[in-house]
Amino acid sequence: MTATPAGRGPTMQVYVLLWLGLILIVAIEVFLTYERLAAGTLLACLLLLALIEAALAVMYFMHLKYERPALFWSLIPYLIFALVMMDHFWPDALRLMRQRLPGS
Amino acid sequence: MGHSAMSVGAPHGGLIEGSPYGIQSKKLAMWLFIIADASTFGAILFAYGFLRLANPGWTRLFAFSPTIVNGIAMTVVLLTSSLTMVAAVAAARSGRKPTALRWLGATMLLGVVFAALHLREWFAMIGEGWRLFRNPMGGSPLFGATFFGITGLHLLHVICGVIVIGVIAAGFRRGRFDADHVETTSLYWHFVDLVWMFVFPLVYLMNVR
Repeated sequence: MTATPAGRGPTMQVYVLLWLGLILIVAIEVFLTYERLAAGTLLACLLLLALIEAALAVMYFMHLKYERPALFWSLIPYLIFALVMMDHFWPDALRLMRQRLPGS
Repeated sequence: MGHSAMSVGAPHGGLIEGSPYGIQSKKLAMWLFIIADASTFGAILFAYGFLRLANPGWTRLFAFSPTIVNGIAMTVVLLTSSLTMVAAVAAARSGRKPTALRWLGATMLLGVVFAALHLREWFAMIGEGWRLFRNPMGGSPLFGATFFGITGLHLLHVICGVIVIGVIAAGFRRGRFDADHVETTSLYWHFVDLVWMFVFPLVYLMNVR
Protein backbone atom coordinates (compact mmCIF):
# COMPACT_ATOMS: atom_id res chain seq x y z
CA MET A 1 0.00 0.00 0.00
CA THR A 2 2.39 2.69 -1.16
CA ALA A 3 0.34 4.22 -3.96
CA THR A 4 -0.94 7.75 -3.69
CA PRO A 5 -4.73 7.79 -3.70
CA ALA A 6 -5.27 10.36 -6.43
CA GLY A 7 -2.04 10.24 -8.32
CA ARG A 8 -0.53 13.06 -6.24
CA GLY A 9 -0.38 13.65 -2.54
CA PRO A 10 0.79 11.58 0.41
CA THR A 11 1.35 7.84 0.44
CA MET A 12 -0.76 5.35 2.39
CA GLN A 13 1.87 5.33 5.15
CA VAL A 14 1.22 9.03 5.71
CA TYR A 15 -2.52 8.35 5.86
CA VAL A 16 -1.97 5.64 8.48
CA LEU A 17 0.12 8.07 10.56
CA LEU A 18 -2.62 10.66 10.17
CA TRP A 19 -5.21 8.11 11.33
CA LEU A 20 -3.10 7.35 14.41
CA GLY A 21 -2.72 11.09 15.07
CA LEU A 22 -6.49 11.60 14.91
CA ILE A 23 -7.06 8.75 17.36
CA LEU A 24 -4.46 10.32 19.66
CA ILE A 25 -6.35 13.63 19.56
CA VAL A 26 -9.57 11.79 20.51
CA ALA A 27 -7.70 10.22 23.45
CA ILE A 28 -6.54 13.70 24.55
CA GLU A 29 -10.14 14.96 24.34
CA VAL A 30 -11.36 12.14 26.61
CA PHE A 31 -8.47 12.76 29.02
CA LEU A 32 -9.24 16.49 29.25
CA THR A 33 -12.94 15.74 29.85
CA TYR A 34 -12.11 13.89 33.08
CA GLU A 35 -9.68 16.59 34.28
CA ARG A 36 -12.77 18.46 35.59
CA LEU A 37 -11.99 21.75 33.86
CA ALA A 38 -14.48 24.63 33.96
CA ALA A 39 -17.21 24.21 31.30
CA GLY A 40 -15.99 27.19 29.23
CA THR A 41 -12.34 26.06 29.35
CA LEU A 42 -13.27 22.48 28.45
CA LEU A 43 -15.45 23.69 25.57
CA ALA A 44 -12.60 25.86 24.22
CA CYS A 45 -10.09 22.97 24.46
CA LEU A 46 -12.45 20.47 22.81
CA LEU A 47 -13.34 22.91 20.02
CA LEU A 48 -9.67 23.65 19.34
CA LEU A 49 -8.82 19.95 19.14
CA ALA A 50 -11.88 19.27 16.94
CA LEU A 51 -10.81 22.10 14.60
CA ILE A 52 -7.30 20.59 14.33
CA GLU A 53 -8.86 17.19 13.51
CA ALA A 54 -11.18 18.78 10.94
CA ALA A 55 -8.33 20.70 9.29
CA LEU A 56 -6.24 17.51 9.00
CA ALA A 57 -9.21 15.59 7.56
CA VAL A 58 -10.05 18.32 5.02
CA MET A 59 -6.47 18.94 3.89
CA TYR A 60 -5.30 15.32 3.69
CA PHE A 61 -8.20 12.82 3.66
CA MET A 62 -10.31 15.13 1.47
CA HIS A 63 -7.21 16.11 -0.50
CA LEU A 64 -7.87 19.87 -0.46
CA LYS A 65 -4.16 20.54 0.16
CA TYR A 66 -3.37 18.98 -3.22
CA GLU A 67 -6.05 20.80 -5.24
CA ARG A 68 -5.55 24.20 -6.85
CA PRO A 69 -5.48 27.03 -4.25
CA ALA A 70 -8.50 28.60 -6.01
CA LEU A 71 -10.70 25.77 -4.69
CA PHE A 72 -9.58 26.36 -1.10
CA TRP A 73 -10.05 30.14 -1.36
CA SER A 74 -13.49 29.74 -2.96
CA LEU A 75 -14.83 27.37 -0.32
CA ILE A 76 -13.25 27.71 3.11
CA PRO A 77 -13.39 31.52 3.73
CA TYR A 78 -17.11 31.44 2.88
CA LEU A 79 -17.73 28.64 5.36
CA ILE A 80 -15.74 30.39 8.11
CA PHE A 81 -17.65 33.63 7.43
CA ALA A 82 -21.00 31.79 7.68
CA LEU A 83 -19.98 30.09 10.94
CA VAL A 84 -18.70 33.35 12.47
CA MET A 85 -21.99 35.04 11.57
CA MET A 86 -23.88 32.20 13.28
CA ASP A 87 -21.72 32.68 16.35
CA HIS A 88 -22.63 36.37 16.36
CA PHE A 89 -26.36 36.06 15.73
CA TRP A 90 -27.37 33.03 17.83
CA PRO A 91 -26.82 34.87 21.15
CA ASP A 92 -28.88 37.72 19.72
CA ALA A 93 -31.73 35.25 19.15
CA LEU A 94 -31.58 34.25 22.84
CA ARG A 95 -31.63 37.95 23.85
CA LEU A 96 -34.73 38.57 21.73
CA MET A 97 -36.50 35.68 23.50
CA ARG A 98 -36.16 37.55 26.80
CA GLN A 99 -37.32 40.90 25.43
CA ARG A 100 -40.84 42.08 26.18
CA LEU A 101 -42.87 44.54 24.17
CA PRO A 102 -43.89 47.70 26.09
CA GLY A 103 -47.10 47.02 28.01
CA SER A 104 -46.96 43.24 27.57
CA MET B 1 -7.29 32.55 -24.73
CA GLY B 2 -6.34 30.19 -27.55
CA HIS B 3 -8.47 27.33 -28.77
CA SER B 4 -6.13 24.77 -27.23
CA ALA B 5 -6.63 26.28 -23.77
CA MET B 6 -10.36 26.70 -24.21
CA SER B 7 -10.97 23.12 -25.25
CA VAL B 8 -9.23 21.53 -22.26
CA GLY B 9 -11.61 19.06 -20.72
CA ALA B 10 -14.09 19.24 -23.57
CA PRO B 11 -15.32 15.69 -24.18
CA HIS B 12 -16.20 16.04 -27.86
CA GLY B 13 -13.81 18.69 -29.05
CA GLY B 14 -16.19 21.57 -28.40
CA LEU B 15 -15.04 24.98 -27.23
CA ILE B 16 -15.72 24.52 -23.52
CA GLU B 17 -13.58 26.47 -21.11
CA GLY B 18 -11.72 24.34 -18.55
CA SER B 19 -12.66 24.44 -14.88
CA PRO B 20 -10.79 27.19 -12.97
CA TYR B 21 -10.40 24.66 -10.17
CA GLY B 22 -8.94 21.91 -12.36
CA ILE B 23 -11.47 19.36 -11.11
CA GLN B 24 -14.47 17.63 -12.62
CA SER B 25 -17.87 19.25 -12.20
CA LYS B 26 -19.18 16.34 -10.07
CA LYS B 27 -16.33 16.83 -7.62
CA LEU B 28 -16.98 20.58 -7.46
CA ALA B 29 -20.69 19.87 -6.91
CA MET B 30 -19.79 17.55 -4.03
CA TRP B 31 -17.59 20.24 -2.48
CA LEU B 32 -20.43 22.78 -2.73
CA PHE B 33 -22.82 20.27 -1.14
CA ILE B 34 -20.31 19.65 1.65
CA ILE B 35 -19.94 23.37 2.37
CA ALA B 36 -23.75 23.76 2.49
CA ASP B 37 -24.09 20.71 4.72
CA ALA B 38 -21.29 21.97 6.98
CA SER B 39 -23.29 25.18 7.42
CA THR B 40 -26.35 23.11 8.41
CA PHE B 41 -24.40 21.15 11.01
CA GLY B 42 -22.72 24.37 12.12
CA ALA B 43 -26.12 25.97 12.72
CA ILE B 44 -27.48 23.11 14.84
CA LEU B 45 -24.22 22.76 16.80
CA PHE B 46 -24.13 26.51 17.52
CA ALA B 47 -27.79 26.37 18.63
CA TYR B 48 -26.99 23.39 20.86
CA GLY B 49 -23.88 25.10 22.26
CA PHE B 50 -25.76 28.23 23.29
CA LEU B 51 -28.64 26.22 24.78
CA ARG B 52 -26.15 24.06 26.67
CA LEU B 53 -24.30 27.06 28.15
CA ALA B 54 -27.52 29.01 28.83
CA ASN B 55 -28.87 26.17 31.03
CA PRO B 56 -26.70 25.74 34.14
CA GLY B 57 -28.82 22.73 35.17
CA TRP B 58 -28.23 20.91 31.87
CA THR B 59 -28.42 17.14 32.37
CA ARG B 60 -25.00 15.47 32.62
CA LEU B 61 -26.13 12.04 31.62
CA PHE B 62 -23.23 10.08 30.20
CA ALA B 63 -21.17 7.67 32.32
CA PHE B 64 -17.72 6.58 31.14
CA SER B 65 -19.01 3.05 30.75
CA PRO B 66 -20.95 2.25 28.67
CA THR B 67 -21.69 5.56 26.87
CA ILE B 68 -18.27 7.19 26.48
CA VAL B 69 -16.58 3.83 25.82
CA ASN B 70 -19.23 3.22 23.15
CA GLY B 71 -18.58 6.72 21.75
CA ILE B 72 -14.83 6.09 21.59
CA ALA B 73 -15.48 2.81 19.77
CA MET B 74 -17.78 4.59 17.31
CA THR B 75 -15.14 7.28 16.72
CA VAL B 76 -12.39 4.70 16.04
CA VAL B 77 -14.72 2.78 13.71
CA LEU B 78 -15.54 5.93 11.72
CA LEU B 79 -11.90 7.09 11.56
CA THR B 80 -10.90 3.61 10.36
CA SER B 81 -13.59 3.76 7.69
CA SER B 82 -11.96 6.95 6.36
CA LEU B 83 -8.68 5.04 6.06
CA THR B 84 -10.34 2.17 4.18
CA MET B 85 -12.00 4.74 1.90
CA VAL B 86 -8.61 6.29 1.09
CA ALA B 87 -7.31 2.78 0.30
CA ALA B 88 -10.33 2.20 -1.97
CA VAL B 89 -9.59 5.42 -3.89
CA ALA B 90 -5.90 4.46 -4.20
CA ALA B 91 -6.80 1.02 -5.55
CA ALA B 92 -9.42 2.43 -7.95
CA ARG B 93 -6.96 5.04 -9.26
CA SER B 94 -4.30 2.39 -9.93
CA GLY B 95 -6.79 0.15 -11.75
CA ARG B 96 -6.96 -2.61 -9.10
CA LYS B 97 -10.71 -3.07 -9.26
CA PRO B 98 -11.10 -6.15 -6.98
CA THR B 99 -8.95 -4.50 -4.29
CA ALA B 100 -10.94 -1.27 -4.57
CA LEU B 101 -14.20 -3.20 -4.21
CA ARG B 102 -12.88 -5.00 -1.11
CA TRP B 103 -11.93 -1.66 0.51
CA LEU B 104 -15.31 -0.17 -0.40
CA GLY B 105 -16.96 -3.22 1.19
CA ALA B 106 -14.85 -2.73 4.32
CA THR B 107 -15.92 0.93 4.45
CA MET B 108 -19.59 -0.05 4.16
CA LEU B 109 -19.16 -2.69 6.88
CA LEU B 110 -17.57 -0.14 9.24
CA GLY B 111 -20.42 2.28 8.47
CA VAL B 112 -22.95 -0.41 9.37
CA VAL B 113 -21.05 -1.18 12.61
CA PHE B 114 -21.11 2.55 13.49
CA ALA B 115 -24.86 2.73 12.85
CA ALA B 116 -25.48 -0.44 14.89
CA LEU B 117 -23.49 0.92 17.87
CA HIS B 118 -25.36 4.20 17.60
CA LEU B 119 -28.80 2.58 17.42
CA ARG B 120 -27.98 0.31 20.38
CA GLU B 121 -27.25 3.41 22.43
CA TRP B 122 -30.42 5.14 21.22
CA PHE B 123 -32.62 2.17 22.12
CA ALA B 124 -31.02 1.96 25.57
CA MET B 125 -31.84 5.65 26.17
CA ILE B 126 -35.39 5.27 24.81
CA GLY B 127 -35.79 2.27 27.14
CA GLU B 128 -34.86 4.55 30.07
CA GLY B 129 -37.68 6.93 29.10
CA TRP B 130 -35.79 9.49 26.99
CA ARG B 131 -37.84 11.07 24.21
CA LEU B 132 -37.43 14.07 21.90
CA PHE B 133 -39.10 16.37 24.45
CA ARG B 134 -39.08 14.29 27.65
CA ASN B 135 -36.27 14.17 30.16
CA PRO B 136 -36.81 11.33 32.69
CA MET B 137 -34.19 12.89 34.99
CA GLY B 138 -36.27 16.06 35.39
CA GLY B 139 -33.82 18.47 33.70
CA SER B 140 -34.25 20.49 30.54
CA PRO B 141 -36.46 18.62 28.03
CA LEU B 142 -34.30 20.16 25.30
CA PHE B 143 -31.57 17.60 26.09
CA GLY B 144 -33.47 14.90 24.20
CA ALA B 145 -34.32 17.28 21.35
CA THR B 146 -30.70 18.33 20.84
CA PHE B 147 -29.21 14.86 21.41
CA PHE B 148 -31.59 12.94 19.15
CA GLY B 149 -31.71 15.80 16.62
CA ILE B 150 -27.94 16.19 16.18
CA THR B 151 -26.96 12.52 16.39
CA GLY B 152 -30.01 11.54 14.29
CA LEU B 153 -29.03 13.92 11.49
CA HIS B 154 -25.49 12.53 11.57
CA LEU B 155 -26.75 8.94 11.64
CA LEU B 156 -28.93 9.72 8.62
CA HIS B 157 -25.80 10.90 6.80
CA VAL B 158 -23.97 7.68 7.71
CA ILE B 159 -26.84 5.48 6.48
CA CYS B 160 -27.10 7.51 3.23
CA GLY B 161 -23.31 7.20 2.85
CA VAL B 162 -23.40 3.41 3.19
CA ILE B 163 -26.16 3.22 0.55
CA VAL B 164 -24.31 5.59 -1.82
CA ILE B 165 -21.03 3.65 -1.45
CA GLY B 166 -22.98 0.44 -2.21
CA VAL B 167 -24.47 1.97 -5.37
CA ILE B 168 -21.10 3.36 -6.51
CA ALA B 169 -19.34 0.03 -5.75
CA ALA B 170 -21.94 -1.90 -7.78
CA GLY B 171 -21.58 0.53 -10.70
CA PHE B 172 -17.78 0.47 -10.43
CA ARG B 173 -17.82 -3.35 -10.55
CA ARG B 174 -19.94 -3.31 -13.71
CA GLY B 175 -17.78 -0.59 -15.30
CA ARG B 176 -20.56 1.99 -15.24
CA PHE B 177 -18.65 4.22 -12.77
CA ASP B 178 -14.92 5.00 -12.71
CA ALA B 179 -12.30 5.98 -10.14
CA ASP B 180 -13.47 9.63 -10.24
CA HIS B 181 -16.88 8.53 -8.94
CA VAL B 182 -15.18 6.60 -6.12
CA GLU B 183 -13.09 9.66 -5.22
CA THR B 184 -16.12 11.98 -5.27
CA THR B 185 -18.00 9.56 -2.99
CA SER B 186 -14.99 9.45 -0.68
CA LEU B 187 -15.28 13.23 -0.17
CA TYR B 188 -18.78 12.75 1.23
CA TRP B 189 -17.68 9.89 3.50
CA HIS B 190 -14.74 11.88 4.91
CA PHE B 191 -17.13 14.76 5.56
CA VAL B 192 -19.40 12.46 7.59
CA ASP B 193 -16.32 11.47 9.59
CA LEU B 194 -15.37 15.14 10.01
CA VAL B 195 -18.79 16.07 11.42
CA TRP B 196 -18.48 13.31 14.03
CA MET B 197 -15.22 14.92 15.20
CA PHE B 198 -17.39 17.81 16.44
CA VAL B 199 -20.44 15.80 17.55
CA PHE B 200 -18.50 13.46 19.84
CA PRO B 201 -16.76 16.12 21.98
CA LEU B 202 -19.64 18.63 22.00
CA VAL B 203 -22.61 16.29 22.51
CA TYR B 204 -20.99 13.42 24.45
CA LEU B 205 -17.88 14.67 26.26
CA MET B 206 -19.48 17.96 27.35
CA ASN B 207 -22.24 15.94 29.06
CA VAL B 208 -20.30 13.40 31.13
CA ARG B 209 -21.27 12.84 34.75
